[in-house]
Amino acid sequence: MKIKQIAMMIAAGTVLTVVPAWAHHAFAAEFDAKKPVHLEGVVTKVELINPHSWIHVDVKNADGTTASWMVEAGSPNVLLRRGFTKATIAAGTPVVVEGYQSKDGSMRANGRDVTLPNGQKLFLGSQGTGAPYEEKK
Amino acid sequence: MYRSILSATTLVLTLGGLLSAQMPAAKSNSKTWSVPRTPDGKPDLQGVWTNATITPMERPSSLAGKSTLTDAEAAAYEKSNHDELVKQDGQSDGPLIAAAGSSGTGGYNVLFVDRGTELARVDGVKRTSLVIDPPDGRVPPITPEARKRNAEMMRSFSNFDSVKTRPLSERCLIGFGSTAGPPMLPVLYNNNYQIVQTPDAVMILIEMVHDARIIRINGTHAPPNVRQWFGDSIGHWEGDTLVVDTTNFTDQTRFRGSSANLHVVERFSRVDASTILYRVSIDDPSTFSKIWTMEYPFVATKGPLYEYACHEGNYAMPDILGGARKAEQEPKK
Repeated sequence: MKIKQIAMMIAAGTVLTVVPAWAHHAFAAEFDAKKPVHLEGVVTKVELINPHSWIHVDVKNADGTTASWMVEAGSPNVLLRRGFTKATIAAGTPVVVEGYQSKDGSMRANGRDVTLPNGQKLFLGSQGTGAPYEEKK
Repeated sequence: MYRSILSATTLVLTLGGLLSAQMPAAKSNSKTWSVPRTPDGKPDLQGVWTNATITPMERPSSLAGKSTLTDAEAAAYEKSNHDELVKQDGQSDGPLIAAAGSSGTGGYNVLFVDRGTELARVDGVKRTSLVIDPPDGRVPPITPEARKRNAEMMRSFSNFDSVKTRPLSERCLIGFGSTAGPPMLPVLYNNNYQIVQTPDAVMILIEMVHDARIIRINGTHAPPNVRQWFGDSIGHWEGDTLVVDTTNFTDQTRFRGSSANLHVVERFSRVDASTILYRVSIDDPSTFSKIWTMEYPFVATKGPLYEYACHEGNYAMPDILGGARKAEQEPKK
């Protein structure tokens, strides 16, 4: 079989790589897909706990008050293996978060994307991650 | 040489059902390597291992009839897999998800996912499915009874009445996706295992939810009334292969619709310095029309396993139940 054919099969959708919404819990069980949130604030605390890490972010409202959000991230075990520590986004770091609010209406959201001030999307990338299977090479 | 390996693999695949009691002969990477042994002379399976792989459990229909890929084909597949992940991340960039107003891009980005970047390699050849028997790489059809069980299970996912109605994994009681199994399947992330071995027992610590399996060597099964989420596992050595027999499952850990009568036989063989070849057969006549078998490597990886204290940090559960209570109070549309 030619490489090109393999590539075409993959392009035809045979690769099961769509990041599933279901991991420790179903996305839709906790978060409301109809309530996307865009948060611009400052990190106050990072909890590297299972089953999900949580990044605490203070967001300044237009009226000068502060809203404290909690943003759900991945399992810290994966993050640690990729070199992510609490210091990676230390308290005081400005971040932009794209995610979805929790269904109960509390100020919690999943952190689909977290972007740093320099525009770097914190969580992008699946190569050179330092994951064990890459280290063995 | 390459062709002979391929032929041997094909033979194994073809005869997989007939030879389900036999592991392929252990192959070594070099002439100097020999199976490491414990003081009592048994193969030493101890260490930290990962079964992360992008090889799907079932062979995609477009790869029908093609159980293996050449290294060049595999590299193309793996690159496309990577490119697709990057593309998905890009799709949620910036305010796009808000504009889209949907969860079409999924809840999590690539950093949270750790399925590995490679297809599973067995006998030097990359595989297109974990299932090796039936030879088409697909799970045999399930019975009408199992379909009914599956439907009930799917319905239960939308029952938010209390903590106890939620899935075991959501409650942090066991890992999701049969990570502890058995069968011990690769899942989205944390595909790490530690094996500790004595003459009387083999313990497998599964990173997710710090599940631990204790396999009693030359033991006998618990009475039928004793039921466990991971079943009751006993083992024995057949030559240099550890054979683990597991029964006594509950009716709560449904593996693809399986019943409490699920019977799993796993075979662990050290095949080189960095690999345990894992072969697992699934038998449950009330669920599957025939016995079926998967095979994939557990590759040595750098430890340690990290803690997975799950319940203490399960903030998701109050969100999930709270969301359901809020929905109940909202006026019906």
